[in-house]
Amino acid sequence: MSPLLQFIEDKVQIAALFFMVAVYTIRIFWLFKFRAVRERSLPEGKARAGVAYSLSNVVLPWAMESTRKNPWFYIQFVVFHLGVTAAISATFIIPYAPHWLASSDIVAAFQAVMGAALAVGIWRFIRRLHSPALRAISTPDDFAAILLMIAYFALGILAVPNRAERGEGPMIAFFILTAFFLIYVPFSKISHYLYYPFGRVFLGRTLGRRGVFPVRKSASGRRAEGDQGR
Amino acid sequence: MKNMSPRKRNPVECLPLATGSQEKARGDDLASVYDRRLKTYDPAGDNVRKFLDLLAVRINRSLAVSLVACVHCGMCVDSCHYALTHPGDSTMTPVYKADQIRRIFKRRLDWTGRIVPWWVHAATPASDEDLNRLKNIVFGTCSACRRCTLNCPMGVDTASLVRFTRGLLTELGIVPEGVFNVSRDEWETGNQMAVTPLDYLGTLQWMRDDLRTDPKLSGLEIPVVRPDCDFMYTINPREIKFDPRSIAQAAKIFHLAGERWTLPSAGWDQTNFGMYSGDDRLGGYIARNLYEAAVRLRAGRIVISECGHGFRSTRWEGYTWAEYDQNIPSESVVRTLKRYLKEQRIRVDKSKNALPVTFHDSCNIARSGGMTEEPRWVLNEVCSNFQEMHPNRTENYCCTGGGGLLSMAEYRPLRLESAAVKARQLEATGAKLVCTMCHNCVDGLNDVVKHYKLDMKIVQVLELVENALVY
Repeated sequence: MSPLLQFIEDKVQIAALFFMVAVYTIRIFWLFKFRAVRERSLPEGKARAGVAYSLSNVVLPWAMESTRKNPWFYIQFVVFHLGVTAAISATFIIPYAPHWLASSDIVAAFQAVMGAALAVGIWRFIRRLHSPALRAISTPDDFAAILLMIAYFALGILAVPNRAERGEGPMIAFFILTAFFLIYVPFSKISHYLYYPFGRVFLGRTLGRRGVFPVRKSASGRRAEGDQGR
Repeated sequence: MKNMSPRKRNPVECLPLATGSQEKARGDDLASVYDRRLKTYDPAGDNVRKFLDLLAVRINRSLAVSLVACVHCGMCVDSCHYALTHPGDSTMTPVYKADQIRRIFKRRLDWTGRIVPWWVHAATPASDEDLNRLKNIVFGTCSACRRCTLNCPMGVDTASLVRFTRGLLTELGIVPEGVFNVSRDEWETGNQMAVTPLDYLGTLQWMRDDLRTDPKLSGLEIPVVRPDCDFMYTINPREIKFDPRSIAQAAKIFHLAGERWTLPSAGWDQTNFGMYSGDDRLGGYIARNLYEAAVRLRAGRIVISECGHGFRSTRWEGYTWAEYDQNIPSESVVRTLKRYLKEQRIRVDKSKNALPVTFHDSCNIARSGGMTEEPRWVLNEVCSNFQEMHPNRTENYCCTGGGGLLSMAEYRPLRLESAAVKARQLEATGAKLVCTMCHNCVDGLNDVVKHYKLDMKIVQVLELVENALVY
């Protein structure tokens, strides 16, 4: 392995990661500078139950009509984010635990997951271009995010075999793109995962207090028994 | 807006700002205008700057998260009745509507939008014309039903963003004329239909006298300002002005249940236009009137008559707007009815309601109020042929008259177009009666039924319970 690849795999990544953590820390402080609203009504349901339900909806595709009626979209979401997880994992495994990729089966598994995510990424990019509703709201940031992810998955597929002796080009490109992501992502929509818990917690807390969350589908009438003030 | 490429605009976005009522209110030197509780439009005012300053001051944490968290995935599109009925019009999607305030927020407060606005389509309104366009979007193309909010994977509360934006525009007097008129009436008279004390008391007396013609109800009272009652009943001014039957129905049921109840002389309006206009001060003023009336009367609880936004604002939001810690329990009258039936304080014969009946969930009660089962339980007790509507409960579609849209005549054609979803949903039930527990929904659904020529009648829970009474 060349000193350049070693430097990019290790020092550059760590520096970029520190940068990302620092920016995210400031970002969270920035968000919390906005005033919080205190609910003053007496609760009907449990805020905690609402929060738990709200946060778990990511694994409950039947909970929302939007995912229940679009199972294909939900599958795409799962595949895409598994690909992201695989690609991010690879950035740690390659430099710090390369023996985990010694087995060709594991390498193939990583490549399959990222390959599937790549296909979803391409599909999502076409969808964004093709759908008038999405085109009307899409920003350069939206297009860049999906294109960068497509490139990232492609480079990840080439990098995971971790065979520097066969050519370092794809690995160098993969790690340069990783470092770029770590610096760029806090300023782009890709950082939605940072906001996800806050968004779900705030909504879950409000609707949990009111007994809207967890949503009940049956006409059991159980909620009606919890008659406040009776 | 600056930095934005021109895009084909929906005709609704181009509707002008009508200020006739505002000019008249200024000319009449109304107290609410004089002391600046009710804001009027000043074309010479620096409205864009004021809008941006207000945005920065008023934004709260959960709204900020809703503004930064959207990933433009488009999952909200199919949840919106406007978008579903206008598939070729991308300006009808919830995300497009929310993006109109999101881009201003980004330009003004968010990092990337301030440095490279074109990258995230951040933009600042260029003129009052842009603010007027924003007014038409947030007031005219959204009923704030919150269906998109519950279908957003990220938890983005688009309906709250719409209300927030409405509130900023209300501060500048950039509002539809109907919204101005109702807000004016609420500020000036304490109720949204400018009902006078004489009208109020006269109607109650009329209903009492009418009920007493039934020999079995000769001792019936509609008490006003009776202290230490089990509950204080609060109503919608529409009940005084257009449909006092619902007061009579409630009074009859309370009487037969042996209830100790009262109406207040002031603070009886449980509706609250602050919810629709986004004006938290108006919301707080109306809600506080009601809460303080209950304290004055030492009422055991507050019972809210059948009204969607009235229930939501009185039961939930009003305490926050008024900065008033809830000290008396409150409930919908439908829950009171359920209690009477469970405790057998009233007797009913469900065969008296034999026509097939379905139930429409008010958005403010189901999605924002958490009450879906009680009305169904009651209807199953008093109707012999109840048929569920699909989708239902928190997934039900808006009556299309929500968000104050019934008061905004200029948006009526678009509203009725978007009602095609509701019309199909109603028709599929095969029911002859559509029951709802919201006066606003009654009017909204009546419009739908009339426009789409459906053979259905809109009723409320009180009406069906009263019809089934055995006494």
